[in-house]
Amino acid sequence: MSLVAGPGRGGHHQPALPDELELCVEKHVAYIKSLDTRKDEYEYWLTEHLRLNGLYWGLTALHLLGHPDALPRSEVIDFVMSCMHDNGGFSAAPGHDPHMLYTCSAVQILATLDAFGDLEAHVNGGKEKVARYIANLQDRDTGTFNGDGWGEKDTRFLFNALLALSLLGMMHLVDVQKGVEYVQSCANFDGGYGTGPGAESHAGQIYTCVGVLSITKRLDLVDKEKLGAWLSDRQLPNGGLNGRPEKKEDVCYSWWVGSSLAMIDRLHWIDQEKLSKFILQCQDSELGGFADRPGDMVDVFHTVFGLAGLSLMKHPGVREVDPIYCMPKDIINRVVGG
Amino acid sequence: MPGYGEDPEWSDIVPLPQDDGGPNPLAAIAYSDEYSEAMSYLRAVMAKNEFSERVLRLTEDIIDMNPAHYTVWLYRAKALFTLHKDLRKEFDWLNPFALRHLKNYQIWHHRHTIIEALASDLDEKSPKIDNMIREEQDFLDRMFTKDAKNYHVWSYRQWLVERFNLWDCEEEREAVDDLLRKDVRNNSAWNHRYYVVFGRPNAPKNTTEGHVLMQREINYAEAAIRIAPQNQSPWNYIRGILSHFQQPLSNIKSLASEFASLEKPDEVKSSHALDLLAEIYKEERQLDCAGKAWDLLAQKYDPIRSRYWMWKKEQLGTAAA
Ligand SMILES: [Zn+2]
Repeated sequence: MSLVAGPGRGGHHQPALPDELELCVEKHVAYIKSLDTRKDEYEYWLTEHLRLNGLYWGLTALHLLGHPDALPRSEVIDFVMSCMHDNGGFSAAPGHDPHMLYTCSAVQILATLDAFGDLEAHVNGGKEKVARYIANLQDRDTGTFNGDGWGEKDTRFLFNALLALSLLGMMHLVDVQKGVEYVQSCANFDGGYGTGPGAESHAGQIYTCVGVLSITKRLDLVDKEKLGAWLSDRQLPNGGLNGRPEKKEDVCYSWWVGSSLAMIDRLHWIDQEKLSKFILQCQDSELGGFADRPGDMVDVFHTVFGLAGLSLMKHPGVREVDPIYCMPKDIINRVVGG
Repeated sequence: MPGYGEDPEWSDIVPLPQDDGGPNPLAAIAYSDEYSEAMSYLRAVMAKNEFSERVLRLTEDIIDMNPAHYTVWLYRAKALFTLHKDLRKEFDWLNPFALRHLKNYQIWHHRHTIIEALASDLDEKSPKIDNMIREEQDFLDRMFTKDAKNYHVWSYRQWLVERFNLWDCEEEREAVDDLLRKDVRNNSAWNHRYYVVFGRPNAPKNTTEGHVLMQREINYAEAAIRIAPQNQSPWNYIRGILSHFQQPLSNIKSLASEFASLEKPDEVKSSHALDLLAEIYKEERQLDCAGKAWDLLAQKYDPIRSRYWMWKKEQLGTAAA
């Protein structure tokens, strides 16, 4: 899946009256499908280090749009498998190094496609192999996870690990309690969470930390009122959400802020109508795709998180998303149970 | 500049083209451009595990074209270590590069790896460590002149503080002061101040000394509030401090009342002050006043979050019961 930006721009080709804004489902489907044919562009190669993430974003967007079969299943699986390494990890593209971020995307894609059987068919004992790669990245002293063998730490990796392991049904391979304690150590004075203990609160990191506590069923540890206050304070007068105080609004925060609020049952604390309108203003109604904000180039990243944000708010035309996994709800029900 | 294909230094290498993993991998790719060519030479040297001066130059070249390619960074670090290069020289290249690529985070991971390796070769008390730290702090200050809220740079700075025990280092508080003088709304700087003062291993406690520190920090935030009353960072900062010392919010009632008052509902200067006032009223069991303050927020000063304010007001009913 290509991460090339454009050709559309947020807010272009839209009706004059904002009240007539509608989600242009077919245009977005066509836009995502077209991404796979744009390999002759320089930017395609410059974004190679995100390719597997991009595939997950595109596939998830298509599922949310109700077109789960728009990408050829066997080709997608072949590409994912071509990114797998002997140690059980996945890289962004063939020839890159394996990393937690891509391993998590690979597991999400395989789960979405109901393809754990294909994984086993490609590699005997493949599921367990992947799970062991992830488990081996846990720092047994602190409970958190490295992104790869090089020791980079971030609460994102802890979330990726537990998310993937829960999809694989292999949470027992890691010290879950220690992971939970690590997240607790990242809680800040303002109610949010950062990349590590004491790091500035950031909506993206809050999503990962609350995600860990949701997967491990330890939301009782969250100060929901304080966190909900911080999260709802991210909404700006134009309806969009930012990721930190005094920063600009951006469509992707519709997901990180929105899903975090949904996980702690506080989504109704923001003005959902205004947020929906803001998201719709970021789509290109003719060429498809969403941008971070009106006027900017569209890309697949903001497309999936814009759609997922709309889905949280039960926008017509979008299938229900799971606020923890950022995958279709019915798929999560099938894989991990309701 | 001639490409690698025409460079005699690289004539022994057979470039390895991209395997895209698709059914017809080679067909899709135009190999004309510089980047693809450099990558195909990198694949070839990686396949034979070559670590050499020319590999270092090749990685610089590729990183320059595509700094987000994490595999190249990792390979470069391996090459530096294998060749036992003087790691201090790495900054001659890395610093200007970091100043040009503000969004990239691989740079910071690389820097972390290099500093850690340099430090592990030195005695913790060596003056060379102090020098190195000072240079790091100076460079971070330069980074902040480009983007004072850069999350990667702040994360790196926190790592530096913890790794080298800089909790009492004047430079850290000065760096924050400096940034807040330029932009009092810089939440990252506020967070760093909290980190250095209260996030340390022996954080101040509820002692006489601790209370002196508490008052100093509250005064600091108060001064910032007077500059920009609607700036939420110093309000959050004070709340964080009071909760750290388990003090009631009523400690700062007069401050809140300066910027919001129920007697003058049209002259509220800060929604944060008004919310604080409401909570103080709740603490004092003046539930009617608390409810009025939240009504004002819902209707006038922060209507986009009216549902949140109404929820807070409803909780008063539970408090009364
Ligand atoms: Zn964004």
